[in-house]
Amino acid sequence: MPARAICAILALLTAASANAQVPADARNKATFERVCGTCHPLQIATASRRSRAQWQDTLEAMVSKQGAKIADDEFGPIVDYLTATYGNDGSAPGPAGRGGGRGAGRGESRGITAGGVGADDKHVVDTAGADRGRKVYAAECINCHGTHARGGDNGADLIRSVVVLHDRYGNEIGPFLRKGHPTQTTPPANLTQAQIADLSHFVHYELYLTMRSALDIQNVLTGDAKAGAAYFRGEGKCTGCHAANGDLAGVGRRYTPVNLQQRFLFPQGGGRGGRGGRGAPPPGKAVTVTVTPPSGPAVTGVLVELDDFNVSLRDGSGDYRSFKRTSSLKVVKNDPFVFHQELLDRITDKNMHDVVAYLETLQ
Amino acid sequence: MKSSRALAAAVLLTALCTALPGQGMLNPAKLGAPPTDTWPTYHGDYSGRRYSTLSKINAGNINSLSLAWVYRASTGPGPGGGFGGVRVSATPLEINGVLYFTVPDHVWAIDARTGRPIWHHQWQPKGGLYIGNRGVGAWGNWLYYETPDCNLVSLNMKDGSERWHKSICDLDLFYYGSVAPVVVKNHVITGVSGDDLDQPGYIESHDPETGDRQWRWYVVPQKMGEVGSDSWPNEEAMKHGGGMTWQPITYDPELNLIYVTTGNPQPVIAGKARAGDNLFTESIVALNPDTGKMAWYFQPSPHDTHDWDATQTPVLFDGEINGQKRKLVAQASRNGWFFVLDRATGKNIVTSEFVKTNWAKGTDAKGQPIPDPAKMPQLDGALVTPNQGGAANWPPPSFNPDTGLFYVNATRAFSVYYIYDPSDKPEGWGGNDRGGWGEGMLEAIDYKTGKIKWSHKWESGGGRSGLLSTAGKVLFAGDPSNNLVAVHTETGQPLWHANLGAPVTNGPMTYELDGTQYLVVAAGDTLYGFAMLGK
Repeated sequence: MPARAICAILALLTAASANAQVPADARNKATFERVCGTCHPLQIATASRRSRAQWQDTLEAMVSKQGAKIADDEFGPIVDYLTATYGNDGSAPGPAGRGGGRGAGRGESRGITAGGVGADDKHVVDTAGADRGRKVYAAECINCHGTHARGGDNGADLIRSVVVLHDRYGNEIGPFLRKGHPTQTTPPANLTQAQIADLSHFVHYELYLTMRSALDIQNVLTGDAKAGAAYFRGEGKCTGCHAANGDLAGVGRRYTPVNLQQRFLFPQGGGRGGRGGRGAPPPGKAVTVTVTPPSGPAVTGVLVELDDFNVSLRDGSGDYRSFKRTSSLKVVKNDPFVFHQELLDRITDKNMHDVVAYLETLQ
Repeated sequence: MKSSRALAAAVLLTALCTALPGQGMLNPAKLGAPPTDTWPTYHGDYSGRRYSTLSKINAGNINSLSLAWVYRASTGPGPGGGFGGVRVSATPLEINGVLYFTVPDHVWAIDARTGRPIWHHQWQPKGGLYIGNRGVGAWGNWLYYETPDCNLVSLNMKDGSERWHKSICDLDLFYYGSVAPVVVKNHVITGVSGDDLDQPGYIESHDPETGDRQWRWYVVPQKMGEVGSDSWPNEEAMKHGGGMTWQPITYDPELNLIYVTTGNPQPVIAGKARAGDNLFTESIVALNPDTGKMAWYFQPSPHDTHDWDATQTPVLFDGEINGQKRKLVAQASRNGWFFVLDRATGKNIVTSEFVKTNWAKGTDAKGQPIPDPAKMPQLDGALVTPNQGGAANWPPPSFNPDTGLFYVNATRAFSVYYIYDPSDKPEGWGGNDRGGWGEGMLEAIDYKTGKIKWSHKWESGGGRSGLLSTAGKVLFAGDPSNNLVAVHTETGQPLWHANLGAPVTNGPMTYELDGTQYLVVAAGDTLYGFAMLGK
C-alpha cells in the first residue's frame, strides 16, 4: 500500500477516534485523499487552481458525470480543502509539485491553467501579464476578434485558433504576427517581445475562462411568488409537512435562490445542494429502517446500507447492527423524502420557479 | 520415492510445456468467434453482445463459485499513476491463458489461471486527461492501446516492449485517448475523447504492422454542402461541433460494416450557436472499415444539449421481426431511449423509453426522439430526467440470444440544467446541470417490442457497471453496494453475490481454460478471478 494511502487511513482512524484533536484542515485533506483517490490520481485534481465555486462545480460534475460517490458529510470538507489549498483567489499557495506524478521537474506554478486536460507543458497564465496583455489586445485586436477573443465577422475565433492553442508565451503568436498580420495601430513587427508575451497571457486567460466556465447560474428568481404560494398550499401539498411560519420561517434569508431551488427539489442531499447550500439532510430527517427478525423484537434505526442480501443500521443507542436478509426477515424502509421524490415527476418548471419565488419571500 | 519425484517432475514439465506456448500469437480465427477459451476484443467478440456460450458456471451451481485469485494493479508513485488510486475500467482481453488490461498509461499481462503478473508496461506521458482507459486491442503478436496524451501504442504481447507509437490527436486541442482499439481485418480502429473545447471528433484506421493511418472519418462534415452540413448553421459551428468517439466499435463481417457511436455536440450545454440536428454527433453510424465511407446513420439525440453522448455500445444480433429474420443493432442510449435498427440499412424498427424521461415531445418519422425546447437548459433552470450522467453510460450492456433480452444497468435521475453563458456565441460548455436524485435498476428489455420484461430495482441509487450474460442463465452485474451480483437471466432473481469492497468498475468477462470456467471482474484497482474450481 502506498505510504500516502496509509497516512490517509491513519489520519482517518485518528479522526474517528479523537475527532476533536485533529485540526479541520487535516481531516479535510484526509477526506479528499480517501474519496477522490478512489477513482483517480490526486494530481489530476491538484494540477489546477480554482475558486470555491469552481471546485464545487468540479465535484458536482464528478458525481453527475462520473458517478463518483461523495457523501453529504464529505462534500463540504473536500471543497474546503481544495479551496484552501488549490484556490485561485491569490491567497492560497501554488499547487504543490504540479504534475509531480506525471513528469517530474516542472516545479511549482502560481499561474492559472486549464487543469487536468491538455499538455503537461501547457501555457501557465500569469494574471499580471494577462492584465497588461488586455491593454495590448484592446488597442490592437479587439475590433476584429471581439471582447472575449471569440471572433466576429472580420476576425477569427482566437479561443479555437490552432495557433493560439499551440502557443506558449508568444512562441507561436509572435512569429505569426510578424508575418505581416495587420493590427490597428502598430505594424506587427513593432510589437515588443514583452507585449507579445502579455498578449499571449491574455488570450490564454480568455481560453481558461471559456474552458472553466467562468460564468455561473444567472438568475433563478423568475417565478410568480403568489402562484408559488398557491402551489405550496394547494396542488403541491407542501403544507402537509411544512409551514411558512414554522419550519420554513426565514428560509429565504438562510439560502440563496439557487439553493432554495436545489434544496426543495432534492432535500435528501443525494443531490448536490448547490453552492454553499449543501450539507446533511435536515435534523431528524434521516432515512430509517425497521428490521423485524422472525424471533425477537423489531429494531429501528438510521439506515446504513441496504442491498438485496444484507441490511445494516445504527439503532437508537448508537449501536451498529446488521442482518442477513431472508424471506422471514421483515425490512421496512422509511424515507422521509419520498414525497419530494414523487414531486419530481409532477412538478412543472413554472411551478418550480414560482415556488422558489415564494420561498424567497419568507424572510 | 524417486519415481514419484520423477513423476512429479514430468507432470510439472508437461504442465510447463502446455503453459509455455501460452503467450503465443492470437489466432486470427478467434477474432469474431464466440468467446470461449479466448476473449480477444473489448466486448469478447465483434457483436458487442457480451454473451458467453459457456455454462459451467450456471444458475444451478453458482453458489459453488470460488475466488481463485486476486490481482491488485499498483501503478506506484511514478508517472501516470501516482498514489491517489487506480480504477480499472478496462475489460481485460484473454489470449492463450494471459489477461491483458490497462489503466491510463499502464498495461499489464497477468496469468489468467492464477493472477500472477507476467509484465507491466508504463508509458512516459506528456499530459492528457486521466479519466479512464477501456483496454487493449490485439492482432497477431501485438497489442494496441491509447494513451491520455494522444498516442496509439503497439506492444509486443510477449514482454510488453514497445514496437511503435503514433500520434492520433493533438494534445494542445484538449483531445485525449481512452478508448480500446478494435482490430478489424488489417485495420486498427481508434477513436478520440475530449469535450472541453469545441473540437471535431473522428474515427481513424491504422495499419496494424506500421501504425500508419489508413483513413480518418470526421464525425462532423468538414465543408458546407457535404451530407449532414444542412444540420448546422455555418461551417464555423460545424467544424467545431464535437462528437467524440470514445467507445469501442462493433463489426459485422458479412456486411463489412463497423458500427460507430458518437458523442455530444459542442458547445455542450449552450447550443444557441449550433441550431439544427448537429449531424453526425449523437449518432449510430455504419462505416466501411476499408474506406471509412459512411453507409447510413441514425441519430438518438438530435441537437443534444444535455451531454448525453450516444456512445453506448451498438449491440449486434440477429432476430425475428414480424416473422422475418433480420440483422439488427440495438442501443440503450444515455438519453433514456432504446432503439432497434436494421443494421444493413439503419432503418428504425423499435423506439421506446427504457426509463421514464421528460425531455422529448415524441418521435419523428425516422424513430428519433424530438427534443422539447422547454427542457433544454435554461437561464433559470429546467428540471430534466435523465440527468447528465444519463439513463445509461459507458458500462457495456449485454444481449442474450437464449432469452432474446437486452440487459442494461439503468438509472432514472433528475437534475436541473442551467445556461451560464447567455451570449450569442457560447463556447466549451456554457452551462451545466446541478443537483439530483436518482434510482438504479437492472432491466431486461424485449428487443421485439422495447417493453421491459423484468426490472430489478437496486435498493439504493447510482449503481453502474458493465454486464455479462451466459448460456448458464446467469447475468452478472455490479450493484450500488459494492456487490458483484449474479441474477437469473429469465427473471432477474438474485442468485449469488460477493461484496468486493468497491464498486464494480468494468464489464465482467469470462473464459474457459483446462475445462474450468473463470469469471473476471474489476472493482477499483483490483481484478478478481472467480472460478468453478470444484469439477
